[in-house]
Amino acid sequence: MTYVITASELRKRFPGRGGAVDAVRGVSLEVARGEIVGFLGPNGAGKTTTMRMLTTLLPIDGGQATVAGLDVRRQPGQVRWRIGYVSQLGGADELATGRENLILQGRLYGGSKTTVAGRVDHVLGLLDLSGFADRLVRTYSGGQRRRLDVALGIVHQPEVLFLDEPSTGLDPQNRANLWQHIRALREQGTTVFLTTHYLDEADALCDRIVIVDQGRVVAEGTPRELKQQVAGDAIVLELRDSDAAGRAAAALRGQPAIRDLSVAGATVRLYASDGAAELPGLLRLLDGAGLTVRSLGLSEPSLDDVFLRQTGRSLRDAGQSTGQSNQAGQPLDRAAA
Amino acid sequence: MKTATDAGLLLRRYLIQLLRNPAFVVIGFATPLLYLALFTPLLRHLAGAQGLPSGNVLNLFLPGILALLAYASGAGPGFSTVFELRAGVIERFRVTPVSRLAILAGPILASMLLMFLFDLVLVLAGWGFGFHVHVLGLLLLALLLALQMATMAAFSITVALRSGEINGVAAIINGLNLPVLLLGGVLLPISLGPAWLRVLAHFNPLYYTVAAARALAAGPLTGTAVWQAFAVLVPLCAIVLYWATSVVRRAVA
Repeated sequence: MTYVITASELRKRFPGRGGAVDAVRGVSLEVARGEIVGFLGPNGAGKTTTMRMLTTLLPIDGGQATVAGLDVRRQPGQVRWRIGYVSQLGGADELATGRENLILQGRLYGGSKTTVAGRVDHVLGLLDLSGFADRLVRTYSGGQRRRLDVALGIVHQPEVLFLDEPSTGLDPQNRANLWQHIRALREQGTTVFLTTHYLDEADALCDRIVIVDQGRVVAEGTPRELKQQVAGDAIVLELRDSDAAGRAAAALRGQPAIRDLSVAGATVRLYASDGAAELPGLLRLLDGAGLTVRSLGLSEPSLDDVFLRQTGRSLRDAGQSTGQSNQAGQPLDRAAA
Repeated sequence: MKTATDAGLLLRRYLIQLLRNPAFVVIGFATPLLYLALFTPLLRHLAGAQGLPSGNVLNLFLPGILALLAYASGAGPGFSTVFELRAGVIERFRVTPVSRLAILAGPILASMLLMFLFDLVLVLAGWGFGFHVHVLGLLLLALLLALQMATMAAFSITVALRSGEINGVAAIINGLNLPVLLLGGVLLPISLGPAWLRVLAHFNPLYYTVAAARALAAGPLTGTAVWQAFAVLVPLCAIVLYWATSVVRRAVA
């Protein structure tokens, strides 16, 4: 397998007033050609900082990184020709039209007038922007604006596209629409590496997920693998009373398929690696013990369960206390995430 | 070669932005014209006074205003850079293979073109009121003003990139303005002042620009003030541009 991105023990430390902050503490990852890989974690986990190091925007303090087969530390100039990067802010010119933005971008990558014009038309079509390509960007809606940002990132046909929080601030329709466009890019052979703090985005869009917390990788795999690795499906059984629940727990404990069984009142909560398949057998077992189940629930594990398991915190709560959110637009040598 | 092409592309972008947001252009025009209209009348009776040359007071005053304009035009790109940084535009450029020097040259050259436009209007207006126009001297002065402007612009952009917020840039630029302008002898020649003031002024780059501007506007192209100004500004401009480029490049140490 050829890797478009490799990182090994990447480190970044920012000097700060209250002492230095280790934003990235040894991140290692690999992204294969043609994959969509999501870098998932709470705000302040080091996602943006890692991405900014991989895209030559921030000096790498420690570790190694290659992008498109080039050493990011030694050959930043060559790396820039081969990558596209869409920051959280996008950075399109508000006072220019979408087409003007794209043409300038293409020309800055060295394309001639005619090749750029053709390429811009193609990209405008690809991202459904043709209808308003000649309107000023400041009149664009949020979704249109974000699609233009992505278009700016791919106008020069990069080998790998970096997207930093691509769907932040978009409504559900526009998010789903953007995801479709990102998948279409992958179909055209572009490798996509994106950061997100949305569980559903990582789940729905990414072939593989790297979960990061406090500057370290805590888990990685396909969304399916990650969820299975946690504890399987959650099964919740409601019995008549706590006495019945206790007896049910005793009957179920020791079953090979069952993990992490707990009792709370009349409720028995347990995990099984393939809950749907296990459920009939478990119910028969309880029936044989003379116990009646009043109701039952079966839920597939979410990525939040994965995060909870790895870090002891819920992803929805993590990172909020740090108060960090949007670090792009910070001074060049201090921006952290 | 790539640097020149990139700088040209970015210059075009900044010019288009200026034209689409003409408020800046209008304000830029108003400032020097207001000086000319509202300040020159105060000087009418100063010509020939102690320490001042005789003749039309504009010959003394207008070159100072041109130097002031070069300094002030250099502060503008610093402020616009903060907005571009906050909007992610600078980062979008930095991640492309565009020449790092061109990232600076784009806004600097655009502001410089605008400055020369103002300069032309000022000189023509001054000419109408009796300013003595010496063409060769003014052409050489244009080069000096370009150096002064580029130095200040590279400085203000670097301050903006380092500080990243409008307050930081405003504090530094505004903090510099008054001492630099007063010690530059922009409005009244430093030669009127006591010795300590004249010594202090020599630490101010703008002082040399102003002195050379007055000399060049008067005609002689080879006065002491002229070569002194170039001797100060050429290396200074090179040093500041080098520093600015290294800050843009800082992404990869």
